[in-house]
Amino acid sequence: MNKKRSEDASIREDTSSVATNSETALRDKVRKTRGVVWRSLLVPLLATVTAFAIGGLVIIATDESVYEAFQDGIGRGIVQVFIVIGRAYGTFFTGAFGNPAQIVEALFSGNAAQIRRAVYPITETLRISTPYIFAGLAVALGFQGGLFNIGAEGQYFVGGLVCVFAGYSITGLPQIIHLPLALLAGVAGGALWGAIPGYLKGKTGAHEVITTIMMNYIAYRLAEFMLDVGGPMARGDGRPVSPEIQLSAYLPQFFPNRVDLRVNAGIFLALGVAWVVWWLLYRTTVGYEIRTVGKNPDAARYAGISVPRVMVITMALSGALAGLSAATDILGVLHFMPNSFFSGYGFDAIALALLGNSHPAGVVLASLLFGAIGAGARNMQGMAHVPIDITSILQGLIIVFIAAPAIIRALYRMREPEEDEELALARG
Amino acid sequence: MPPVLELKGITKRFPGVLANDHIDLRLEEGHVLSLLGENGAGKSTLMNILYGLYSQDEGDIYIRGENVAINTPNDAIRQGIGMVHQHFMLVPVLTVTENVMLGMESMKRAGFLDRETSANRIREISDRYGLEVDPDAVVEDLPVGIQQRVEIIKLLYRNADILILDEPTAVLTPQEVEGLFDVIHTLVALGKSVIFISHKLKEVLEISDRIVVLRRGRVVGSTTPVESDERDLATMMVGRDVILSVAKMPREPEAVVLNVRSLFVRGDQAKMAVNGISFEVRGGEILGVAGVQGNGQTELVEALTGLRAVEGGRIMIAGEDTTHASPRTITEVGTAHIPEDRQRDGLVLDYPVEDNMILNTYYLPPQAKGMVMQEAVIAERAENLVAEYDVRTPSISTPTGNLSGGNQQKVIVARELSRPVRLLIASQPTRGLDVGSIEYIHSQLVRKRDEGVAVFVISAELDEVMSLSDRIMVMFEGKIMGTVSAVGATKEELGLLMAGVAPETATMTS
Amino acid sequence: MHKRLSMVLVSVLLVSFVLSACGGGGAASNVKVGMVTDMGGIDDKSFNATSWQGVEMAKKELGVQGDYLESQQQTDYAPNITQFVNQGYDLIVTVGFMLADDTAKFAAENPDVNFAIVDFAYDPPIDNVRGLVFATDEAAFLAGYAAAAGSKTGKVATFGGISIPTVTIFMVGFEKGVEYYNQQNGTNVEVLGWSTADNNGVFAGNFESTDDGRRIAEEFMSEGADIIMPVAGPVGLGTAQAVKEAGDAWDIGVDTDWTISVPDYKDVVFTSVMKNMDAAVFDSVKMVTEDGFGGFGGESYVGTLVNDGVGVGPIASGMVSSDVESAMDDIRQGIIDGTINTGWADYLSSLN
Repeated sequence: MNKKRSEDASIREDTSSVATNSETALRDKVRKTRGVVWRSLLVPLLATVTAFAIGGLVIIATDESVYEAFQDGIGRGIVQVFIVIGRAYGTFFTGAFGNPAQIVEALFSGNAAQIRRAVYPITETLRISTPYIFAGLAVALGFQGGLFNIGAEGQYFVGGLVCVFAGYSITGLPQIIHLPLALLAGVAGGALWGAIPGYLKGKTGAHEVITTIMMNYIAYRLAEFMLDVGGPMARGDGRPVSPEIQLSAYLPQFFPNRVDLRVNAGIFLALGVAWVVWWLLYRTTVGYEIRTVGKNPDAARYAGISVPRVMVITMALSGALAGLSAATDILGVLHFMPNSFFSGYGFDAIALALLGNSHPAGVVLASLLFGAIGAGARNMQGMAHVPIDITSILQGLIIVFIAAPAIIRALYRMREPEEDEELALARG
Repeated sequence: MPPVLELKGITKRFPGVLANDHIDLRLEEGHVLSLLGENGAGKSTLMNILYGLYSQDEGDIYIRGENVAINTPNDAIRQGIGMVHQHFMLVPVLTVTENVMLGMESMKRAGFLDRETSANRIREISDRYGLEVDPDAVVEDLPVGIQQRVEIIKLLYRNADILILDEPTAVLTPQEVEGLFDVIHTLVALGKSVIFISHKLKEVLEISDRIVVLRRGRVVGSTTPVESDERDLATMMVGRDVILSVAKMPREPEAVVLNVRSLFVRGDQAKMAVNGISFEVRGGEILGVAGVQGNGQTELVEALTGLRAVEGGRIMIAGEDTTHASPRTITEVGTAHIPEDRQRDGLVLDYPVEDNMILNTYYLPPQAKGMVMQEAVIAERAENLVAEYDVRTPSISTPTGNLSGGNQQKVIVARELSRPVRLLIASQPTRGLDVGSIEYIHSQLVRKRDEGVAVFVISAELDEVMSLSDRIMVMFEGKIMGTVSAVGATKEELGLLMAGVAPETATMTS
Repeated sequence: MHKRLSMVLVSVLLVSFVLSACGGGGAASNVKVGMVTDMGGIDDKSFNATSWQGVEMAKKELGVQGDYLESQQQTDYAPNITQFVNQGYDLIVTVGFMLADDTAKFAAENPDVNFAIVDFAYDPPIDNVRGLVFATDEAAFLAGYAAAAGSKTGKVATFGGISIPTVTIFMVGFEKGVEYYNQQNGTNVEVLGWSTADNNGVFAGNFESTDDGRRIAEEFMSEGADIIMPVAGPVGLGTAQAVKEAGDAWDIGVDTDWTISVPDYKDVVFTSVMKNMDAAVFDSVKMVTEDGFGGFGGESYVGTLVNDGVGVGPIASGMVSSDVESAMDDIRQGIIDGTINTGWADYLSSLN
């Protein structure tokens, strides 16, 4: 007992120093976190700006009117360059976010049709972002667990198949049951398709990059078999598409019965799920296991974590998110599934995860950016006659600059991260 | 005659820290100068300045009396300065010749590599300095000691006169250390000058002409082996008196905690690495394993901790059969494990200190309620452990990889010793650490033994095993050559056992 | 001041430039035509490109304004249609049956806007949508007959891109035409790559890979086929290349007359099965521009041999005798009369 008391005394002494320690540590942490957030946003931000600058050059270089203007004199040519760029990015902006003046005017007028017209661009940006968020989260979660899920596309397909089946085949249920059921069906399909490569990796070490690509092809063929004319899930009107889902499986739309304003509850679901993924990763034991396996599988084994089990869980969750991506497209937008369901999300999702630094918040921001690019570029195509391929050019450039931050640093004369010095210090 | 190298007033600041504070240094031609200091004392920074990796904020460098500017490693090489880093800079899949040529390839006409000329020069160098090595061997096939020779040859090939050896003995066996010292003697005899960086006192006393001790970025002493002894150096280095031998009271061992019977374990090459051994460790005793590395110690520990499958035999920990148990079960019956490779197995270097403190208990209350991690509890626990185990870290949210090796090890020790355990398995617990950290970790192991924990220590350092253990078990080719009481055991006796010579005079106690 | 003046000048110049570009040749019209492509994009060398030619033709000859929007994903159709609707286009052409659902929805929502959809007809019809469909089986039947006559090895072949009705309709007609030749002449010319009876055939699995087109053609040729009809868009270009390299084999063009649209391979084009989507689109634009146009009234356009909506191109000289050519004229009449069955209707009903 005596011994204990003396220990207590020494501990008390310690805790007082710990208290001040932890206070400074906390301040230190806040400061550092702020710095880290800022630093982690800076490169993507500059990468985006640079991509748009280069995209502008591409737009100018492919515009005939610029060449013609230059033939009439350099002055006219330069003016024309600014006209072309201004028109292109002007329409891009209004296509992605709407015309602010118009929005204000519409809101004051109170005219429903006018309001609908004014907010349409934003609804499209959000609508495009919705499946991107899920797909980006799918790949990001895989990255966190050290797994490179290239199979989001296939998981999207299978999730879509199961979801649409639940959507059209079940009848007579109220929406409050049917909709969650159809969403869960998409989750289950995607999770199954993801879990298989996870199992193969955990049990046999088969590399997930290979197996997920193979699973993609199986998914494509499976969709073809199910949906081709005469197939078990074909609608029977001579087209390779599924029947329409029941109204009870529709995701509620912001503007019910509007065919153009398609933004729906999926965007809330996406934001909610992004939060859940963040919570899961950083606040639960499952997330701790996933991240530990991702960062150091040897240490995970040492810590008593079953690495194969965690791999299956990671891939199943990743696939579930990809399946949700398809489910929101089907239940919220298309309301059926065509066999040529190639979304390209599976591959865009890799870009989104990279751009978002595999963090759920980053993925959401990246998805909103890609959504804006999608909506803006489409308006640019219609209003400024810039080919829609500009989307791929912009997205591609952003990814190049993210993947090679040295370019961005050199361009903007940023300092190398200080890590080296810190390390040198700590290691003496 | 001016000294071959002289540093005057070298100062280097990093944000918030003075890494080198007006350091003066003289290296005479043909001498070995030792730089002694704990991790973080500023040795590496100083040498990186000399080698052109950093530039000093203040101060001058003189080579043979001439003030020179060294801004890049190429400048350093031009001035005849060469450095062997702690982690070798060799390409594993290339041959010795190719590695040595790398960066200064001699060409035949038409741009073909002239391997022949290079190989001949390498032979010439190795003959001259006693650096035996086969120029055509592939580097990854060579033992560490030989790889180090290749690094030294690289420097000589580039006509270096001043050789900086950064912690060269950290990775070597005692025999290899002897070999290295022979090489150093030859080098200085032939007119080269050597800067020898270490924190091992005995070695420094054995090899140096002059010893300079650094502490917190400053020169705190300059002496010669004749004028000083281990104790003086250690005091200078740490800034206070240190206990060099491990102080422990005799203690009666209690009940058997770890009981191993006819254990067989396969190594990576499918060969039996552990060959039917039986032993036991009792509560309140330290059983140390001595042996040249690669004689089954690593596989034995992995089998005991559930990281490697057991081929045959039985393991009992605290009365439970854990022969085929998972690492988690083994942890839960009360086993602590300080792993041999702390960075590979023991830590997630990207994680903040607080997350590494819960690496194997993250799922248990109070750290977790159900599946929800309790941030506040985890942080508080980490703060307490950092304070209690004297982990030097800016904060508990600092990435563990940014800490020094000694502090990384303290994180593991804090984690493993702070929970109730019956058995402590410590594998190379002090490898690569400085005197202060070693002293601390030793005292913690002894404390656990005094609390009645069964302690099983594996170390490549015979001194460590001898001073820590109550009993010493010697392993050779997967078998136990003998187990002796630490009291009265001699190095010669153990050395014979480690070499696989059967005991005749050794007293069997188990 | 100067700056503003120059801006005004520039805008005037710009507007006049745009107007002159749109003016083109024929009489100016204020009718606006918008086309929404399928996912293949405007340069797909297949139905998007051919349909766009119809719009181009209308721009030149009728003086209408014409624009297109490319779709990259399934979900792009609706916003693209929305853009045209919001900008007050008079006729919106949607290309491909994949757009059928969205086209129907927007047609219902915007009864004042006219729509035309390539490769789909609604049942029941929608008042303001004109379905543009093609009895390609009729032309393919003729091509099959000619190929059976022209083959020196007694083996002809066909393959598709993906197994969808707009593709298989070519293959069914082709096989039936070969059968008809065998029946009439007591021969036994074989068809590789498709069997209506088994509802099974060779498909590349895509509409992009010329390598696949080449590989499949090489397989067919090694099995003895000397005339090959690839129903797979640009994949067929690989087939034409393989056939050209082989030297003693021929290729049947689809959608357009390949002797004109793919001049590089005109020497190996046996004939072409033409699906004149450009003509159908042009016809629809023309209807809208006519005075007193009061809506499509749910009428569909069916391209047949009669209205030249489908047809066969010229047969490579010296490949078939004049007897065969005149027999083909009779068959053509027989198909129009309904006395000769191309097998498509039977095939379709067998599916459902």
